Amino acid sequence: MINRNLFAREWKSNAAALLIWTLIITLLITLTMSVYRVFLENNTKILAMISILPKGALQFKGISSVDALFSVLGFYSANNVIYMLVLGSIYSIVLSSGILLREEYNKTAEFLLSWPLDRGEVFISKATVVFLNIFLLNLITSLAGLVSMIIVKKEAFSVNAFLILTLYTFLLNLLFATVGLLMSAMVKKPRPITTLSIGLVLILYFIFTFSKITESVSKIGYLTPFRYVNLDTLNPSYRLEPWNLLYFIGLSLLMTAIAYRLYRRKDIYV
Amino acid sequence: MNTPVIDITDITKHYGKARGVDHISLQVNEGEIFGFIGPNGAGKSTTIRILLNLIFPDSGNARLMGMDVISDAKKIKRFTGYIPSDASAYPSMEVNDFLNYCLRYYSTENGTKRLKELSELFEVDLKRKIADLSLGNRKKVSIIQSLLHNPKLLIVDEPTMGLDPLMQSRFFDVLRSENQNGMTIFFSSHILSDIQALCRRVAIIREGRIIKVEEIEALRKRQLKKVHLQFENRPEKESFRIEGMEQIIQSADNSISFMYSGGINELIVTCTHTRLTDMTVEEPSLEEIFMHYYQ
Repeated sequence: MINRNLFAREWKSNAAALLIWTLIITLLITLTMSVYRVFLENNTKILAMISILPKGALQFKGISSVDALFSVLGFYSANNVIYMLVLGSIYSIVLSSGILLREEYNKTAEFLLSWPLDRGEVFISKATVVFLNIFLLNLITSLAGLVSMIIVKKEAFSVNAFLILTLYTFLLNLLFATVGLLMSAMVKKPRPITTLSIGLVLILYFIFTFSKITESVSKIGYLTPFRYVNLDTLNPSYRLEPWNLLYFIGLSLLMTAIAYRLYRRKDIYV
Repeated sequence: MNTPVIDITDITKHYGKARGVDHISLQVNEGEIFGFIGPNGAGKSTTIRILLNLIFPDSGNARLMGMDVISDAKKIKRFTGYIPSDASAYPSMEVNDFLNYCLRYYSTENGTKRLKELSELFEVDLKRKIADLSLGNRKKVSIIQSLLHNPKLLIVDEPTMGLDPLMQSRFFDVLRSENQNGMTIFFSSHILSDIQALCRRVAIIREGRIIKVEEIEALRKRQLKKVHLQFENRPEKESFRIEGMEQIIQSADNSISFMYSGGINELIVTCTHTRLTDMTVEEPSLEEIFMHYYQ
Protein backbone atom coordinates (compact mmCIF):
# COMPACT_ATOMS: atom_id res chain seq x y z
CA MET A 1 0.00 0.00 0.00
CA ILE A 2 3.01 2.30 0.28
CA ASN A 3 3.71 4.05 -2.98
CA ARG A 4 7.49 4.11 -3.29
CA ASN A 5 7.51 7.14 -5.57
CA LEU A 6 5.45 9.24 -3.19
CA PHE A 7 7.31 7.91 -0.16
CA ALA A 8 10.68 8.85 -1.69
CA ARG A 9 9.44 12.33 -2.59
CA GLU A 10 8.03 12.96 0.90
CA TRP A 11 11.13 11.56 2.54
CA LYS A 12 13.31 13.91 0.53
CA SER A 13 11.16 16.98 1.06
CA ASN A 14 11.02 16.47 4.85
CA ALA A 15 14.67 15.48 5.34
CA ALA A 16 15.91 19.02 5.98
CA ALA A 17 13.34 19.62 8.73
CA LEU A 18 14.24 16.29 10.36
CA LEU A 19 17.90 17.20 10.27
CA ILE A 20 17.34 20.64 11.78
CA TRP A 21 15.03 19.43 14.57
CA THR A 22 17.35 16.51 15.38
CA LEU A 23 20.36 18.80 15.54
CA ILE A 24 18.58 21.33 17.76
CA ILE A 25 17.27 18.73 20.22
CA THR A 26 20.59 16.84 20.26
CA LEU A 27 22.43 20.07 20.92
CA LEU A 28 20.07 21.03 23.75
CA ILE A 29 20.40 17.59 25.36
CA THR A 30 24.18 17.48 25.13
CA LEU A 31 24.52 21.06 26.37
CA THR A 32 22.24 20.31 29.31
CA MET A 33 24.11 17.13 30.16
CA SER A 34 27.42 18.96 29.90
CA VAL A 35 26.49 21.08 32.96
CA TYR A 36 25.68 18.00 35.06
CA ARG A 37 29.15 17.95 36.66
CA VAL A 38 28.91 21.68 37.50
CA PHE A 39 25.47 20.98 38.95
CA LEU A 40 26.91 18.29 41.21
CA GLU A 41 29.79 20.50 42.35
CA ASN A 42 27.35 23.26 43.38
CA ASN A 43 24.84 20.99 45.05
CA THR A 44 24.58 23.03 48.28
CA LYS A 45 23.64 26.24 46.48
CA ILE A 46 21.26 24.38 44.18
CA LEU A 47 19.57 22.60 47.07
CA ALA A 48 19.01 25.97 48.71
CA MET A 49 17.44 27.31 45.53
CA ILE A 50 15.25 24.27 44.96
CA SER A 51 14.01 24.21 48.54
CA ILE A 52 12.10 27.45 47.99
CA LEU A 53 10.21 25.97 45.02
CA PRO A 54 6.76 24.46 45.58
CA LYS A 55 6.66 20.65 45.69
CA GLY A 56 4.74 20.48 42.44
CA ALA A 57 7.47 22.32 40.55
CA LEU A 58 9.59 19.22 40.76
CA GLN A 59 6.71 16.81 40.38
CA PHE A 60 5.80 17.99 36.93
CA LYS A 61 9.29 17.09 35.91
CA GLY A 62 8.68 13.63 37.29
CA ILE A 63 11.01 14.11 40.25
CA SER A 64 9.69 12.71 43.50
CA SER A 65 12.62 13.97 45.61
CA VAL A 66 15.34 16.58 45.22
CA ASP A 67 17.98 13.87 45.55
CA ALA A 68 16.86 12.42 42.24
CA LEU A 69 18.25 15.46 40.47
CA PHE A 70 21.76 14.50 41.53
CA SER A 71 21.72 11.14 39.77
CA VAL A 72 22.59 11.33 36.10
CA LEU A 73 19.37 9.62 34.94
CA GLY A 74 17.23 11.77 37.22
CA PHE A 75 18.96 14.89 35.90
CA TYR A 76 18.48 13.71 32.31
CA SER A 77 14.81 12.86 32.64
CA ALA A 78 14.00 16.06 34.59
CA ASN A 79 15.71 18.36 32.12
CA ASN A 80 14.86 16.62 28.92
CA VAL A 81 11.11 16.73 29.49
CA ILE A 82 10.98 20.01 27.64
CA TYR A 83 13.25 18.93 24.81
CA MET A 84 12.03 15.46 24.05
CA LEU A 85 8.46 15.49 25.26
CA VAL A 86 7.46 19.02 24.30
CA LEU A 87 9.75 19.86 21.37
CA GLY A 88 9.55 16.30 20.03
CA SER A 89 5.75 16.43 20.20
CA ILE A 90 5.68 19.84 18.51
CA TYR A 91 7.87 18.49 15.72
CA SER A 92 5.64 15.42 15.38
CA ILE A 93 2.34 17.29 15.21
CA VAL A 94 3.66 20.01 12.88
CA LEU A 95 5.06 17.38 10.51
CA SER A 96 1.95 15.23 10.51
CA SER A 97 -0.60 18.02 10.30
CA GLY A 98 1.22 19.55 7.33
CA ILE A 99 2.08 16.50 5.30
CA LEU A 100 -1.44 15.91 3.97
CA LEU A 101 -2.80 19.43 4.18
CA ARG A 102 0.17 21.06 2.42
CA GLU A 103 -0.90 19.41 -0.84
CA GLU A 104 -4.22 21.21 -0.50
CA TYR A 105 -3.15 24.72 0.42
CA ASN A 106 -0.23 24.61 -2.03
CA LYS A 107 -2.72 23.41 -4.63
CA THR A 108 -0.51 20.45 -5.59
CA ALA A 109 -3.26 17.99 -4.61
CA GLU A 110 -4.81 18.62 -8.03
CA PHE A 111 -1.73 17.04 -9.59
CA LEU A 112 -1.10 14.35 -7.00
CA LEU A 113 -4.66 13.09 -6.92
CA SER A 114 -4.97 13.11 -10.70
CA TRP A 115 -2.14 10.58 -10.95
CA PRO A 116 -2.85 6.85 -10.53
CA LEU A 117 -2.83 6.66 -6.76
CA ASP A 118 -5.68 5.95 -4.43
CA ARG A 119 -6.27 8.05 -1.33
CA GLY A 120 -5.29 5.13 0.91
CA GLU A 121 -1.85 4.95 -0.74
CA VAL A 122 -1.38 8.69 -0.32
CA PHE A 123 -2.30 8.50 3.37
CA ILE A 124 -0.20 5.43 4.16
CA SER A 125 2.87 6.63 2.22
CA LYS A 126 2.80 10.01 3.96
CA ALA A 127 1.99 8.60 7.42
CA THR A 128 4.90 6.15 7.06
CA VAL A 129 7.26 9.05 6.37
CA VAL A 130 5.93 10.79 9.50
CA PHE A 131 6.38 7.70 11.70
CA LEU A 132 9.84 6.99 10.30
CA ASN A 133 10.96 10.60 10.87
CA ILE A 134 9.70 10.52 14.45
CA PHE A 135 11.44 7.20 15.04
CA LEU A 136 14.73 8.58 13.71
CA LEU A 137 14.40 11.80 15.73
CA ASN A 138 13.86 9.76 18.89
CA LEU A 139 16.60 7.28 18.05
CA ILE A 140 19.27 9.90 17.36
CA THR A 141 18.38 12.25 20.21
CA SER A 142 18.11 9.36 22.69
CA LEU A 143 21.46 8.00 21.58
CA ALA A 144 22.90 11.47 22.10
CA GLY A 145 21.37 11.48 25.60
CA LEU A 146 22.73 8.03 26.37
CA VAL A 147 26.24 8.86 25.18
CA SER A 148 26.17 12.18 27.12
CA MET A 149 25.11 10.36 30.29
CA ILE A 150 27.85 7.76 29.88
CA ILE A 151 30.40 10.55 29.49
CA VAL A 152 29.30 12.72 32.46
CA LYS A 153 28.07 10.05 34.92
CA LYS A 154 29.74 9.60 38.28
CA GLU A 155 27.76 6.53 39.21
CA ALA A 156 26.13 3.75 37.23
CA PHE A 157 22.56 4.27 36.06
CA SER A 158 19.80 1.94 34.86
CA VAL A 159 19.92 1.61 31.09
CA ASN A 160 16.66 -0.29 31.33
CA ALA A 161 14.94 2.71 32.95
CA PHE A 162 16.47 4.94 30.27
CA LEU A 163 15.05 2.70 27.51
CA ILE A 164 11.61 2.73 29.11
CA LEU A 165 11.70 6.55 29.29
CA THR A 166 12.80 6.63 25.64
CA LEU A 167 9.91 4.38 24.65
CA TYR A 168 7.43 6.57 26.57
CA THR A 169 8.78 9.63 24.77
CA PHE A 170 8.51 7.93 21.39
CA LEU A 171 4.94 6.83 22.11
CA LEU A 172 3.96 10.35 23.16
CA ASN A 173 5.49 11.84 19.99
CA LEU A 174 3.72 9.20 17.93
CA LEU A 175 0.40 9.99 19.60
CA PHE A 176 0.76 13.67 18.74
CA ALA A 177 1.62 12.67 15.16
CA THR A 178 -1.66 10.80 14.88
CA VAL A 179 -3.50 13.82 16.33
CA GLY A 180 -1.91 15.88 13.54
CA LEU A 181 -3.01 13.40 10.88
CA LEU A 182 -6.53 13.42 12.26
CA MET A 183 -6.67 17.21 12.37
CA SER A 184 -5.49 17.52 8.77
CA ALA A 185 -8.06 14.94 7.63
CA MET A 186 -10.80 16.88 9.41
CA VAL A 187 -9.90 20.40 8.29
CA LYS A 188 -12.16 21.54 5.49
CA LYS A 189 -10.56 24.80 4.44
CA PRO A 190 -7.13 24.31 2.88
CA ARG A 191 -4.92 26.42 5.11
CA PRO A 192 -1.97 25.68 7.39
CA ILE A 193 -2.82 24.58 10.93
CA THR A 194 0.70 24.87 12.34
CA THR A 195 -0.23 27.44 15.00
CA LEU A 196 -3.21 25.39 16.10
CA SER A 197 -1.04 22.25 16.30
CA ILE A 198 1.70 23.89 18.35
CA GLY A 199 -0.93 25.56 20.53
CA LEU A 200 -2.56 22.20 21.24
CA VAL A 201 0.72 20.66 22.46
CA LEU A 202 1.50 23.68 24.63
CA ILE A 203 -1.99 23.86 26.11
CA LEU A 204 -1.94 20.15 26.96
CA TYR A 205 1.50 20.55 28.51
CA PHE A 206 0.28 23.58 30.48
CA ILE A 207 -2.72 21.59 31.77
CA PHE A 208 -0.34 18.80 32.77
CA THR A 209 2.00 21.13 34.70
CA PHE A 210 -0.93 22.98 36.27
CA SER A 211 -2.45 19.71 37.43
CA LYS A 212 0.88 18.74 39.03
CA ILE A 213 1.43 22.07 40.75
CA THR A 214 -2.14 22.57 41.98
CA GLU A 215 -3.31 19.60 44.00
CA SER A 216 -6.99 20.61 43.93
CA VAL A 217 -7.12 20.24 40.14
CA SER A 218 -4.80 17.26 39.84
CA LYS A 219 -7.51 15.22 38.10
CA ILE A 220 -7.52 17.40 34.98
CA GLY A 221 -4.04 16.05 34.33
CA TYR A 222 -5.68 12.87 33.09
CA LEU A 223 -6.95 14.82 30.09
CA THR A 224 -3.46 15.23 28.70
CA PRO A 225 -1.22 12.51 27.26
CA PHE A 226 1.76 13.95 29.20
CA ARG A 227 0.18 12.49 32.33
CA TYR A 228 0.73 8.97 31.00
CA VAL A 229 4.47 9.37 30.56
CA ASN A 230 6.13 8.14 33.71
CA LEU A 231 9.25 10.23 34.34
CA ASP A 232 10.11 8.85 37.75
CA THR A 233 13.04 6.84 36.40
CA LEU A 234 14.72 6.44 39.79
CA ASN A 235 11.75 4.77 41.38
CA PRO A 236 12.74 1.13 41.97
CA SER A 237 9.37 -0.03 40.61
CA TYR A 238 9.77 2.08 37.44
CA ARG A 239 8.48 0.09 34.49
CA LEU A 240 6.39 0.34 31.35
CA GLU A 241 2.86 0.42 32.71
CA PRO A 242 0.59 -1.83 30.61
CA TRP A 243 -2.34 0.60 30.89
CA ASN A 244 -0.20 3.50 29.78
CA LEU A 245 1.11 1.43 26.90
CA LEU A 246 -2.43 0.50 25.95
CA TYR A 247 -3.46 4.16 26.20
CA PHE A 248 -0.75 5.33 23.78
CA ILE A 249 -0.98 2.46 21.30
CA GLY A 250 -4.77 2.22 21.43
CA LEU A 251 -5.35 5.94 21.00
CA SER A 252 -2.72 6.23 18.25
CA LEU A 253 -4.23 3.32 16.30
CA LEU A 254 -7.74 4.68 16.76
CA MET A 255 -6.82 8.17 15.55
CA THR A 256 -4.84 6.83 12.60
CA ALA A 257 -7.77 4.64 11.59
CA ILE A 258 -10.25 7.53 11.84
CA ALA A 259 -7.89 9.87 9.95
CA TYR A 260 -7.41 7.24 7.22
CA ARG A 261 -11.15 6.77 6.84
CA LEU A 262 -11.86 10.50 6.80
CA TYR A 263 -9.09 11.24 4.30
CA ARG A 264 -10.37 8.59 1.89
CA ARG A 265 -13.73 10.37 1.78
CA LYS A 266 -12.49 13.92 2.15
CA ASP A 267 -13.49 16.59 -0.34
CA ILE A 268 -10.23 18.12 -1.50
CA TYR A 269 -10.67 21.83 -2.17
CA VAL A 270 -7.80 23.62 -3.81
CA MET B 1 -23.48 1.48 -29.26
CA ASN B 2 -20.17 2.50 -27.67
CA THR B 3 -20.03 3.32 -23.96
CA PRO B 4 -19.61 7.08 -23.48
CA VAL B 5 -16.13 8.04 -22.29
CA ILE B 6 -17.75 10.43 -19.81
CA ASP B 7 -21.13 9.47 -18.43
CA ILE B 8 -22.54 11.72 -15.71
CA THR B 9 -25.94 10.78 -14.34
CA ASP B 10 -27.98 13.12 -12.18
CA ILE B 11 -25.10 14.42 -10.08
CA THR B 12 -25.72 16.94 -7.32
CA LYS B 13 -23.13 18.58 -5.12
CA HIS B 14 -23.69 21.30 -2.55
CA TYR B 15 -21.10 23.01 -0.38
CA GLY B 16 -23.14 23.44 2.76
CA LYS B 17 -25.92 25.76 1.67
CA ALA B 18 -24.05 26.93 -1.42
CA ARG B 19 -24.84 25.28 -4.72
CA GLY B 20 -22.15 23.42 -6.60
CA VAL B 21 -23.98 21.49 -9.29
CA ASP B 22 -27.60 20.49 -9.35
CA HIS B 23 -28.82 17.27 -10.97
CA ILE B 24 -26.50 17.39 -13.94
CA SER B 25 -26.31 14.66 -16.55
CA LEU B 26 -23.90 14.60 -19.47
CA GLN B 27 -22.42 12.16 -21.94
CA VAL B 28 -19.24 12.60 -23.96
CA ASN B 29 -18.46 10.10 -26.67
CA GLU B 30 -15.15 8.55 -27.59
CA GLY B 31 -13.01 10.69 -29.87
CA GLU B 32 -14.86 13.95 -29.17
CA ILE B 33 -13.41 17.29 -28.27
CA PHE B 34 -16.22 18.36 -26.02
CA GLY B 35 -16.60 21.93 -24.84
CA PHE B 36 -17.86 22.74 -21.37
CA ILE B 37 -18.67 26.40 -21.07
CA GLY B 38 -20.21 28.61 -18.47
CA PRO B 39 -19.56 31.77 -16.51
CA ASN B 40 -17.36 31.78 -13.42
CA GLY B 41 -18.98 29.92 -10.54
CA ALA B 42 -21.38 28.04 -12.83
CA GLY B 43 -20.16 24.60 -11.65
CA LYS B 44 -17.52 23.70 -14.25
CA SER B 45 -14.71 23.02 -11.79
CA THR B 46 -17.06 21.20 -9.41
CA THR B 47 -18.01 18.85 -12.25
CA ILE B 48 -14.36 18.25 -13.13
CA ARG B 49 -13.39 17.64 -9.51
CA ILE B 50 -16.12 15.06 -9.19
CA LEU B 51 -14.84 13.31 -12.32
CA LEU B 52 -11.31 13.27 -10.85
CA ASN B 53 -12.54 12.06 -7.45
CA LEU B 54 -11.18 15.17 -5.72
CA ILE B 55 -14.64 15.74 -4.27
CA PHE B 56 -17.56 13.39 -3.73
CA PRO B 57 -21.06 13.99 -5.12
CA ASP B 58 -24.01 14.19 -2.74
CA SER B 59 -26.04 12.06 -5.13
CA GLY B 60 -25.88 10.63 -8.62
CA ASN B 61 -22.97 8.86 -10.22
CA ALA B 62 -20.33 9.38 -12.85
CA ARG B 63 -18.39 6.94 -14.96
CA LEU B 64 -15.28 7.49 -17.04
CA MET B 65 -14.46 4.93 -19.74
CA GLY B 66 -17.16 2.73 -18.21
CA MET B 67 -15.59 2.80 -14.72
CA ASP B 68 -17.00 4.36 -11.57
CA VAL B 69 -15.19 7.59 -10.62
CA ILE B 70 -15.13 6.66 -6.94
CA SER B 71 -14.51 2.91 -6.74
CA ASP B 72 -12.28 2.71 -9.83
CA ALA B 73 -10.52 6.07 -9.34
CA LYS B 74 -6.98 4.69 -9.46
CA LYS B 75 -7.59 2.62 -12.60
CA ILE B 76 -9.28 5.55 -14.33
CA LYS B 77 -6.32 7.82 -13.64
CA ARG B 78 -3.96 5.52 -15.53
CA PHE B 79 -5.80 6.52 -18.69
CA THR B 80 -6.64 10.11 -17.84
CA GLY B 81 -4.65 13.32 -18.11
CA TYR B 82 -5.62 16.51 -16.32
CA ILE B 83 -4.62 20.13 -16.76
CA PRO B 84 -5.81 22.05 -13.69
CA SER B 85 -6.78 25.70 -14.00
CA ASP B 86 -4.29 26.63 -11.30
CA ALA B 87 -0.91 25.36 -12.45
CA SER B 88 0.73 25.25 -9.01
CA ALA B 89 3.18 22.37 -9.22
CA TYR B 90 5.72 21.69 -6.46
CA PRO B 91 7.61 25.01 -6.33
CA SER B 92 10.86 23.65 -4.88
CA MET B 93 11.31 21.11 -7.70
CA GLU B 94 13.10 21.61 -10.98
CA VAL B 95 10.88 21.16 -14.03
CA ASN B 96 12.78 18.05 -15.11
CA ASP B 97 12.47 16.47 -11.63
CA PHE B 98 8.78 17.26 -11.48
CA LEU B 99 8.03 15.76 -14.90
CA ASN B 100 10.09 12.65 -14.17
CA TYR B 101 8.38 12.35 -10.78
CA CYS B 102 5.04 12.48 -12.56
CA LEU B 103 6.20 9.96 -15.17
CA ARG B 104 7.17 7.42 -12.49
CA TYR B 105 3.49 7.06 -11.54
CA TYR B 106 2.79 5.54 -14.95
CA SER B 107 4.21 2.49 -16.64
CA THR B 108 4.65 4.30 -19.94
CA GLU B 109 6.87 3.20 -22.78
CA ASN B 110 8.90 5.99 -24.33
CA GLY B 111 7.93 8.34 -21.51
CA THR B 112 11.36 9.99 -21.41
CA LYS B 113 11.35 10.47 -25.18
CA ARG B 114 7.90 12.02 -24.99
CA LEU B 115 8.98 14.29 -22.16
CA LYS B 116 11.85 15.55 -24.29
CA GLU B 117 9.63 16.05 -27.36
CA LEU B 118 6.92 17.92 -25.48
CA SER B 119 9.35 20.13 -23.57
CA GLU B 120 11.02 21.07 -26.85
CA LEU B 121 7.68 21.73 -28.52
CA PHE B 122 6.54 24.00 -25.69
CA GLU B 123 10.01 25.50 -25.23
CA VAL B 124 10.23 24.65 -21.54
CA ASP B 125 13.56 25.00 -19.75
CA LEU B 126 13.86 21.73 -17.84
CA LYS B 127 16.60 23.00 -15.57
CA ARG B 128 14.60 25.82 -14.01
CA LYS B 129 12.88 25.66 -10.67
CA ILE B 130 9.09 25.69 -10.85
CA ALA B 131 8.98 28.55 -8.31
CA ASP B 132 10.93 30.71 -10.78
CA LEU B 133 8.55 30.13 -13.71
CA SER B 134 5.97 32.61 -14.97
CA LEU B 135 2.29 31.62 -15.01
CA GLY B 136 2.51 30.80 -18.73
CA ASN B 137 5.54 28.56 -18.26
CA ARG B 138 3.95 26.80 -15.31
CA LYS B 139 0.93 26.22 -17.50
CA LYS B 140 3.15 24.66 -20.14
CA VAL B 141 4.66 22.32 -17.53
CA SER B 142 1.15 21.41 -16.47
CA ILE B 143 0.20 20.65 -20.09
CA ILE B 144 3.29 18.44 -20.56
CA GLN B 145 2.62 16.43 -17.39
CA SER B 146 -0.93 15.74 -18.56
CA LEU B 147 0.22 14.31 -21.89
CA LEU B 148 3.30 12.30 -20.86
CA HIS B 149 1.50 8.97 -20.50
CA ASN B 150 -0.60 9.20 -23.70
CA PRO B 151 -3.95 9.36 -21.91
CA LYS B 152 -7.15 8.16 -23.56
CA LEU B 153 -9.07 11.00 -21.94
CA LEU B 154 -7.76 14.50 -21.33
CA ILE B 155 -9.63 16.79 -18.98
CA VAL B 156 -8.63 20.44 -19.19
CA ASP B 157 -9.80 23.29 -17.01
CA GLU B 158 -9.19 26.81 -18.35
CA PRO B 159 -6.04 25.63 -20.12
CA THR B 160 -5.15 28.77 -22.08
CA MET B 161 -4.92 31.08 -19.07
CA GLY B 162 -1.42 32.60 -19.15
CA LEU B 163 -0.40 31.16 -22.52
CA ASP B 164 0.75 33.57 -25.21
CA PRO B 165 -1.04 33.34 -28.62
CA LEU B 166 1.80 31.35 -30.20
CA MET B 167 1.84 28.74 -27.44
CA GLN B 168 -1.95 28.68 -27.41
CA SER B 169 -1.97 27.87 -31.11
CA ARG B 170 0.72 25.21 -30.61
CA PHE B 171 -1.28 23.73 -27.75
CA PHE B 172 -4.43 23.58 -29.87
CA ASP B 173 -2.47 21.86 -32.65
CA VAL B 174 -1.28 19.24 -30.15
CA LEU B 175 -4.84 18.72 -28.95
CA ARG B 176 -6.14 18.30 -32.52
CA SER B 177 -3.36 15.87 -33.33
CA GLU B 178 -3.93 13.83 -30.15
CA ASN B 179 -7.64 13.82 -30.86
CA GLN B 180 -7.00 12.45 -34.35
CA ASN B 181 -5.03 9.66 -32.67
CA GLY B 182 -8.09 8.79 -30.61
CA MET B 183 -7.82 10.93 -27.49
CA THR B 184 -11.11 12.22 -26.09
CA ILE B 185 -10.87 15.77 -24.77
CA PHE B 186 -13.12 17.43 -22.22
CA PHE B 187 -12.40 21.13 -22.60
CA SER B 188 -13.74 23.38 -19.88
CA SER B 189 -13.45 27.11 -20.34
CA HIS B 190 -15.29 30.37 -20.05
CA ILE B 191 -13.55 31.64 -23.19
CA LEU B 192 -15.87 31.11 -26.11
CA SER B 193 -13.24 31.54 -28.82
CA ASP B 194 -11.23 28.63 -27.32
CA ILE B 195 -14.28 26.38 -27.36
CA GLN B 196 -15.19 27.52 -30.88
CA ALA B 197 -11.67 26.83 -32.17
CA LEU B 198 -11.61 23.24 -31.00
CA CYS B 199 -14.93 21.73 -30.09
CA ARG B 200 -17.73 20.29 -32.16
CA ARG B 201 -20.14 19.78 -29.31
CA VAL B 202 -20.65 21.91 -26.26
CA ALA B 203 -22.50 21.85 -22.96
CA ILE B 204 -23.53 25.14 -21.42
CA ILE B 205 -23.68 25.20 -17.64
CA ARG B 206 -25.28 27.97 -15.64
CA GLU B 207 -25.97 28.18 -11.92
CA GLY B 208 -25.09 24.53 -11.45
CA ARG B 209 -27.41 23.21 -14.16
CA ILE B 210 -26.66 22.11 -17.69
CA ILE B 211 -28.98 24.20 -19.79
CA LYS B 212 -27.97 23.09 -23.26
CA VAL B 213 -25.91 20.38 -24.93
CA GLU B 214 -25.61 21.00 -28.62
CA GLU B 215 -23.31 21.05 -31.61
CA ILE B 216 -21.66 24.43 -32.09
CA GLU B 217 -22.99 24.60 -35.66
CA ALA B 218 -26.53 23.80 -34.54
CA LEU B 219 -26.33 26.59 -31.99
CA ARG B 220 -25.40 28.95 -34.74
CA LYS B 221 -28.28 27.79 -36.94
CA ARG B 222 -30.92 28.09 -34.26
CA GLN B 223 -33.85 30.37 -34.87
CA LEU B 224 -32.44 32.99 -32.57
CA LYS B 225 -32.40 36.38 -34.31
CA LYS B 226 -31.04 39.71 -33.34
CA VAL B 227 -33.68 42.35 -34.05
CA HIS B 228 -33.32 46.13 -34.12
CA LEU B 229 -36.41 48.32 -34.52
CA GLN B 230 -36.33 52.07 -35.01
CA PHE B 231 -39.65 53.78 -34.22
CA GLU B 232 -40.94 57.09 -35.51
CA ASN B 233 -41.95 58.07 -31.97
CA ARG B 234 -40.72 56.79 -28.70
CA PRO B 235 -42.72 53.60 -28.01
CA GLU B 236 -44.56 53.53 -24.74
CA LYS B 237 -43.00 51.41 -22.10
CA GLU B 238 -44.17 47.78 -22.32
CA SER B 239 -46.24 48.59 -25.44
CA PHE B 240 -44.05 46.51 -27.72
CA ARG B 241 -43.87 43.02 -26.31
CA ILE B 242 -44.04 39.68 -28.17
CA GLU B 243 -43.41 36.21 -26.81
CA GLY B 244 -39.80 35.22 -27.50
CA MET B 245 -38.24 38.62 -26.88
CA GLU B 246 -35.22 38.61 -24.58
CA GLN B 247 -32.36 40.90 -23.62
CA ILE B 248 -34.40 43.96 -24.55
CA ILE B 249 -32.48 47.20 -24.79
CA GLN B 250 -34.52 50.38 -25.21
CA SER B 251 -32.46 53.36 -26.38
CA ALA B 252 -33.06 57.08 -26.14
CA ASP B 253 -33.17 57.34 -29.96
CA ASN B 254 -36.62 55.67 -30.11
CA SER B 255 -35.17 52.23 -30.88
CA ILE B 256 -35.41 48.78 -29.35
CA SER B 257 -32.92 45.95 -29.79
CA PHE B 258 -33.60 42.42 -28.61
CA MET B 259 -32.89 38.72 -29.18
CA TYR B 260 -35.91 37.00 -30.66
CA SER B 261 -36.68 33.30 -30.67
CA GLY B 262 -40.36 33.48 -31.74
CA GLY B 263 -41.96 33.18 -35.18
CA ILE B 264 -41.02 35.80 -37.78
CA ASN B 265 -44.70 36.26 -38.86
CA GLU B 266 -45.74 37.21 -35.33
CA LEU B 267 -42.94 39.77 -35.26
CA ILE B 268 -44.01 41.32 -38.58
CA VAL B 269 -47.70 41.41 -37.59
CA THR B 270 -46.82 43.18 -34.35
CA CYS B 271 -44.61 45.63 -36.22
CA THR B 272 -47.49 46.60 -38.56
CA HIS B 273 -49.31 48.11 -35.57
CA THR B 274 -46.49 50.59 -35.06
CA ARG B 275 -44.79 53.23 -37.16
CA LEU B 276 -41.27 52.10 -37.88
CA THR B 277 -38.54 54.02 -39.64
CA ASP B 278 -36.11 51.11 -39.79
CA MET B 279 -35.95 47.40 -39.04
CA THR B 280 -33.02 44.97 -39.14
CA VAL B 281 -33.12 41.24 -38.44
CA GLU B 282 -29.74 39.53 -38.38
CA GLU B 283 -27.91 36.40 -37.24
CA PRO B 284 -26.45 36.88 -33.78
CA SER B 285 -22.78 36.15 -33.17
CA LEU B 286 -21.87 32.98 -31.29
CA GLU B 287 -20.96 35.19 -28.35
CA GLU B 288 -24.47 36.61 -28.31
CA ILE B 289 -26.00 33.15 -28.54
CA PHE B 290 -24.05 32.08 -25.48
CA MET B 291 -25.02 35.23 -23.63
CA HIS B 292 -28.61 34.32 -24.43
CA TYR B 293 -28.12 31.09 -22.46
CA TYR B 294 -26.04 32.64 -19.71
CA GLN B 295 -28.59 35.25 -18.71
